[in-house]
Amino acid sequence: MKRQVKLFLGPNHPGMHGNFSVHLYVDGDIVEKARPLPGMLHRGFEKLMERRLWMNNLALIPRICVPEPDINEMVYAMGVETLAKVDVPERAHWIRMIILELARIANHLMALGGIGGPTGLYTGPNWATADRDLILDIFEEITGARVYHMYIVPGGVRKDLPKGIEKKIENFLDYLEKRLPEYDDLILKNPMVQARTVDNIVLPEEVCWELGVTGIGLRSSSGKPYDIRKVDPYARYDEVEFEVPTATYSDAYTRLTIKYKEIQQSIRIIRQVLDKMPKEGPVRAKISRGSALRWRVPKGQVFSHIECARGEYGYYIVSDGSNMPYRIAVRGASYPQGLLGIEKYLPGTRIDDVAIWLDTMGVCAPEIDR
Amino acid sequence: MNSMNNIIEDIKTKFNPINTEIVKKNQIAIDLNNEEVHAVLSYLKSQGWKQLTILTCVDWIKENKFQLVYILMNWEKSITIQVRTKIDRDNPKFRTIINIYPGAEMYERDVHEFFGVTFEGNPNHDKELFLELWDDLPPMRKDFDPLAYSKKKFDVRDYKVDFIPKEGEAE
Repeated sequence: MKRQVKLFLGPNHPGMHGNFSVHLYVDGDIVEKARPLPGMLHRGFEKLMERRLWMNNLALIPRICVPEPDINEMVYAMGVETLAKVDVPERAHWIRMIILELARIANHLMALGGIGGPTGLYTGPNWATADRDLILDIFEEITGARVYHMYIVPGGVRKDLPKGIEKKIENFLDYLEKRLPEYDDLILKNPMVQARTVDNIVLPEEVCWELGVTGIGLRSSSGKPYDIRKVDPYARYDEVEFEVPTATYSDAYTRLTIKYKEIQQSIRIIRQVLDKMPKEGPVRAKISRGSALRWRVPKGQVFSHIECARGEYGYYIVSDGSNMPYRIAVRGASYPQGLLGIEKYLPGTRIDDVAIWLDTMGVCAPEIDR
Repeated sequence: MNSMNNIIEDIKTKFNPINTEIVKKNQIAIDLNNEEVHAVLSYLKSQGWKQLTILTCVDWIKENKFQLVYILMNWEKSITIQVRTKIDRDNPKFRTIINIYPGAEMYERDVHEFFGVTFEGNPNHDKELFLELWDDLPPMRKDFDPLAYSKKKFDVRDYKVDFIPKEGEAE
């Protein structure tokens, strides 16, 4: 006898990422219909940004994405610099890259360890949280804040790196490089994780193009290095060497291994940055005469995008020449898979795999809700 | 730069854009009449702009227009194109593009909810997505005032001070 049951997954659930909810209609343990319910984390950022000065917004935008807030500051700064034609000092570009790559490692560590939640391997999240904390220590020393840094500003970065931080970052990278094989043993080589993820939750390339999925999802299914850092380089990513890990068959396990490989590449990038960056020089260009609070950005409409840990992240910035933005639209990287992806492609999954689906597809609630 | 000029020339020979612009490195903007948007989008999709990055809307209240912005990404040529068109603000209606870019469905619902633009042909365009039980103007319109709304919607609460420390008493 067929009997459909409605099951609420989230907003408070160990397998959910943030305050996001999915209504599952299940028969037995197979999901037949899924309905995403965003809105619980909607804070009206886009409206708030229209009512604040260009520089005031810096305190607001990092809050859009919690695990990796620096990408917001970077896209905002890039877009505004394009409109106002500000030249960023050379050293600031390199400092920005350090911050962005450290944030990427922190995010990937959380996502890689986070697979322990849905698979019942609770050592994973514990390790990852402890190691991420070391990155937060570095952030605290550089910017003064642990989670929301407000460090990358239009015109450069807020202040120069503190003395001796290079040594600390190098020590951390050495530590992480030694530590990574242990994650490999714990998570990727674990037969239980493999049993749950190999050949499970396959993402074909056509689906990526249909929905607009970017990032690891697109790279792991198409086999092409579709990474904004390579395709449309920003900061100084064209001057460092790194590889973009790809694959041609995208199951949950492949996407996990790609995260692991991307951490290694980020370590490689930071090492090169520390080596190649100019050792001194200005880090912040003066953006306007007089107070930056009275700064008016010239008219224009620009879309700026960067590669975040989950894919292409972008801001569409419109200025009408006044001291506040006219409109800012946020393109969260997990918007396509988080809404339409859940509705169309989650059905057919078993209940116990729904959390793995959400984790490996990279669904991040705050950037969907905004 | 050269390839971007080629793309602009190509669009100009095949369609009649109102205005074209090179915004920055690797980015073009094309302003179009309403009728040509779908033709241009299908043409660009066949030329390699396979991904719809975002569909969004800008409220130009002084001109009494809404501007729809479709941002397309070509990963091979690494060029982003903004396709823009202005529609009437009093009766905001536009034809859906889900037959060209199926991923636009949720963006259209998003724009419908926050700006009140109706997308004809999108089967779910008027379903609630983010704002449950919303009862006012679409909130991202420029004439929506959040402060006035919250004053109307939520009462001002009086706070009673029920404990005043006496002299010599710890607070």
